Amino acid sequence: METPLQPGSGSKGARTGIILGGLCIVFLGLVGLFLADVWGHPPAKQKIPLVDAKFLEPKPWRQSYADLVKAKEDLSDFDCYACHEKNKPPPIRYDAEHKIIVPKEHENIVMGHGSHDRNNLCYNCHNEANLLTLQTRDGRELKFDNSPPLCGSCHGPTYRDWEYGVHGRISGFWNKKLGEASRLACVNCHNPHAPRIPTREPAPGPHSLREAPAPRHPSQAAH
Amino acid sequence: MIAATRNYLRFLSRCGRIAFVGDWRYYVWMGVLTVIVLLGLNAYCKQIVHGLLVTGMSDEVSWGVYIANFTFLVGVAAAAVMMVIPVYIYKNEELHDLVIFGELLAVAAILMCLAFVTVDLGRPDRFWHLIPGLGQMNFPASMLSWDVIVLNGYLLLNVHICGYLLYSRYQGKKPAKWFYIPFVFIAIVWAISIHTVTAFLYVGLGGRPFWNSAIVGPRFLASAFTAGPALIILALQVVRRVTAVPIGSTPYSATGSTPVGMAIRRAATLKDLEVLAQHLPELAKVPLADQVACLVGSTVSEVERGEILLHQGGQDSEAYFVLKGRVVVKREESGRVRITRTAGPGEQFGEISALNGTPRMATAIAEEPSRVLRMPADSLRLLMRNKALNEIIHSRMTERLMITDRGLLILRGIVQVSMLINVFLLLNEIFKEFYSGNLHVASSHYLFLGLHGHSGLVGWIWTAIAFNLTAMVLLVLPVSRSLRWLNVACVLSIVGIWIEKGMGLVIPGFIPTPLGAILEYSPSLNETLVCFGIWAFGLLCYTIFLRMAVPILQGRLSKANESLPELEGDDGPIASPANRVRPTALQT
Amino acid sequence: MAAPNPFTGPDKTSDKAMTRRNFLRGSAAFSGLAALAASLSPLRELKDFSSTEEFLQKYYKELTPDDMTKVIQRIENQVERQYGVRPHVRDLRPMDGVEFVYCLNLTRCIGCRKCVHACVNENNQSRDPEIQYIRVLRLPHGSLDLEKAEHNYAPTQVPEKGYFYMPVQCQQCKNPPCVKVCPVNATWQEKDGITVIDYDWCIGCRYCEAACPYWARRFNFAKPSIPKERLNPNMAYLGNRPRRQGVMEKCHFCIQRTRAGRYPACLEVCPVGARKFGNILDPESEVSHIFREKRVFIQLKEEMGTSPRFFYYFEK
Repeated sequence: METPLQPGSGSKGARTGIILGGLCIVFLGLVGLFLADVWGHPPAKQKIPLVDAKFLEPKPWRQSYADLVKAKEDLSDFDCYACHEKNKPPPIRYDAEHKIIVPKEHENIVMGHGSHDRNNLCYNCHNEANLLTLQTRDGRELKFDNSPPLCGSCHGPTYRDWEYGVHGRISGFWNKKLGEASRLACVNCHNPHAPRIPTREPAPGPHSLREAPAPRHPSQAAH
Repeated sequence: MIAATRNYLRFLSRCGRIAFVGDWRYYVWMGVLTVIVLLGLNAYCKQIVHGLLVTGMSDEVSWGVYIANFTFLVGVAAAAVMMVIPVYIYKNEELHDLVIFGELLAVAAILMCLAFVTVDLGRPDRFWHLIPGLGQMNFPASMLSWDVIVLNGYLLLNVHICGYLLYSRYQGKKPAKWFYIPFVFIAIVWAISIHTVTAFLYVGLGGRPFWNSAIVGPRFLASAFTAGPALIILALQVVRRVTAVPIGSTPYSATGSTPVGMAIRRAATLKDLEVLAQHLPELAKVPLADQVACLVGSTVSEVERGEILLHQGGQDSEAYFVLKGRVVVKREESGRVRITRTAGPGEQFGEISALNGTPRMATAIAEEPSRVLRMPADSLRLLMRNKALNEIIHSRMTERLMITDRGLLILRGIVQVSMLINVFLLLNEIFKEFYSGNLHVASSHYLFLGLHGHSGLVGWIWTAIAFNLTAMVLLVLPVSRSLRWLNVACVLSIVGIWIEKGMGLVIPGFIPTPLGAILEYSPSLNETLVCFGIWAFGLLCYTIFLRMAVPILQGRLSKANESLPELEGDDGPIASPANRVRPTALQT
Repeated sequence: MAAPNPFTGPDKTSDKAMTRRNFLRGSAAFSGLAALAASLSPLRELKDFSSTEEFLQKYYKELTPDDMTKVIQRIENQVERQYGVRPHVRDLRPMDGVEFVYCLNLTRCIGCRKCVHACVNENNQSRDPEIQYIRVLRLPHGSLDLEKAEHNYAPTQVPEKGYFYMPVQCQQCKNPPCVKVCPVNATWQEKDGITVIDYDWCIGCRYCEAACPYWARRFNFAKPSIPKERLNPNMAYLGNRPRRQGVMEKCHFCIQRTRAGRYPACLEVCPVGARKFGNILDPESEVSHIFREKRVFIQLKEEMGTSPRFFYYFEK
């Protein structure tokens, strides 16, 4: 009968002892590793800049005459007869291609109401008889602080939508029983001489959790 | 009642203590697993503190490797129980004891699933919100609530079945059929349901066209029944290895020198049958005439400790009953010897050769001074005409720990068919996605070909497909009947299916997002550590389960030997599963 | 010591060897426990614990008015402690006879992203990690295929020629897939049409995020960071009160404003008036007018059956 191999004695037993001793050392090493807190930290914050608070102000782009009055601003620009003579409507001059020549006193006005220069006559909107008022196509006189019907005299569907609050901005309460909703005038967004809404700078794009997306130039195709 | 509780607690404490006992290889294995578990636990603590920011997930890809592993493991858990079908429905005895290993694997897998889901939660402290009655459970609308119910139910089912069977074996009692057979059948149906419910988690999301397809459910089942039994094939070979000792390491081997028949022998008498009937009450029901008739040719032997009663491979065909003492039955295979069962008073051995006429499958050695009754095959058959005795002898025939190669081949059959179905379903999917030119295939495009310059998963999925196809070919060819190639095919299947079911299913569902954005995903170091930690935890659980179950099945850990000291690795050193299984040609 | 064992022969173990092994086993166990304790050490950094009452807080629908008062008190205290500003938190209930609908005019949207940031400001969203409920997509003229959408356009001027812009946020679907899948009922649709989240009930499983076909839901991967000076103290329980790490959030139609009768912040800031919001059950509301007058409406991914409350339309 050969000598039996006993656990706890002989080479196998010593090996168990070595293994157990090794385990102790490994565990104690783990204690150090854990306390040292080497890995597993969250990624550094992306330092995304806050959007400018001004960007979020819901102020309208333009001020209408009524706004100026309310804000008690300087209305001297609207005193036409400071320069013009009463009962003598200023003549409108065109160049060879029937483009309007804007006099240098009014050079801040850029004309662009309608494509192909089709609305180049100032007196389509301004009242030549009384420069302090506006006029519709059918001759009705409108005060400067009530310009929307003038726009509506040509832009009917848009005007109807505007009356309902569907075109353009609306602010306040959807529940009219609890409060008021206010509309803006057409000229609060549209420059009456060049009404097309200009392009603007957008806010930056979204920042994904895992990668900073590269900003794309508009000429690059999507993806 | 109190005694029963006390016995049960004693049983639990012995099982618990045995988990800490083993040889040096056991300590290495458990030590390595413990280290990995601790690393994972530490990583999870960091996740609790800093939030899921420390993973690689994002709003674009909001599920990652945690849910991928969960999905894979639910399949393993479901398939582990499917082994049960051949045994209980087709009455295949080869796999009988192995069913327990399958169910224990199911328990370990479900524990891992629950762990993976828990670590994925943003607010695990609010888990009580899921408990019906205490919290709110959106049942039956939410598939996740179904999943919570079926997974926990499945866990309880399997814990009950394994626990009851093992405890009955420990007590040496025959398990009451009504206490576990209905649950086994429920578990079979439940296994299919857990995986189908998990599939429905994905299928039910109309907003994700990659998942919203009827084929996901069947693919889940097909891949589960490939990977699950493949894992079991590998696990069983490991168990077979570690529960066996190399020949020559114990003083008693199958080719021991003590010849049979040297023990004191005399003719059997009725008195001996009476003694036997004390331990085997069914014998008393046999009519006296039959009892007398079976005494013809029967002998009783008194044997010393260490005497060999049967030799493996021998051609004799008597059956033996133990009247006093204990006999251990050991089988030699591939150069290693394993205990297959232990017979105490009233129990039989050698009956298989007696009834079937096959050569001895094992060697029987007396463990202590014993008295055995030796009966010719005809006498045994005569006795077994009695119904009660017939039943008990048949049930005890299967109470042995034998992992035969034939059992592994049956499992191979399951893996083979399932892999064929799995590959067929994959081809179906690929055709459907790419043939019609439909636009909703961005996710499949991303997975297989890359999308708009992002191709993070392409390498992975094609590797998985290559593995699966290779495994399929191997499984179909007869070459996989050899264990070496079978193991290769199993490993390839498991890895291939892990990739395609985990990353190949979960991640592409999120890329591109429903609004068309693409953000790729890769797990962070922390996330990976947590995954490893949970896998190690599962292996730890499974090892502990086996460390308890194998001695019980071998009869080494039983109520009868409560007074004996704890096993100190004396059934042989437990080999490290890292050892490669030596390939052999299978003997049928 | 041990009874004689037939397989290993008479016990030859020396007492010394057994004691040494027991000592080693004990040391291994002890150092294992030390490693276990050390592995839990990151939890030391855990601040901001839930109090017991917060941990046990009932589901929103089960809170009595008294409970709710206590909860609001707790929230106000917490916010004051954290941000130095005393907020005003209300539990606003839906109004009768109200069902909200949102209409968005895609001809008008210029893609400036003011709505995105106004929402962030109004609803106290985390700046870093960045959470934005609204995502503006840039699409080429002629297609609504979202796979052609660009999320990160950054030109110097918008709008760009050849493209149109579509802001997407929670569509407050009538048949919400997110509500269907939440395992704990932490999200549901109220009778005025807003799909809300009880932030104190959500377990953070992110199933709803996977289910949403519009990618509208956001998860707090980390503790949200809100600059103190930008905190909006006008809060609602189901709305813009600061959320915690690990819970979901999303657009709730500025519930603190809309249930008090006001327009949501995204609409107020939109410089071109592309957004219209109101009560579809009121025939005089802007949205009713739109439904009567405009022709083509797009509900995103209509075929999903989600029945979203967001109606996109083109003017021309």
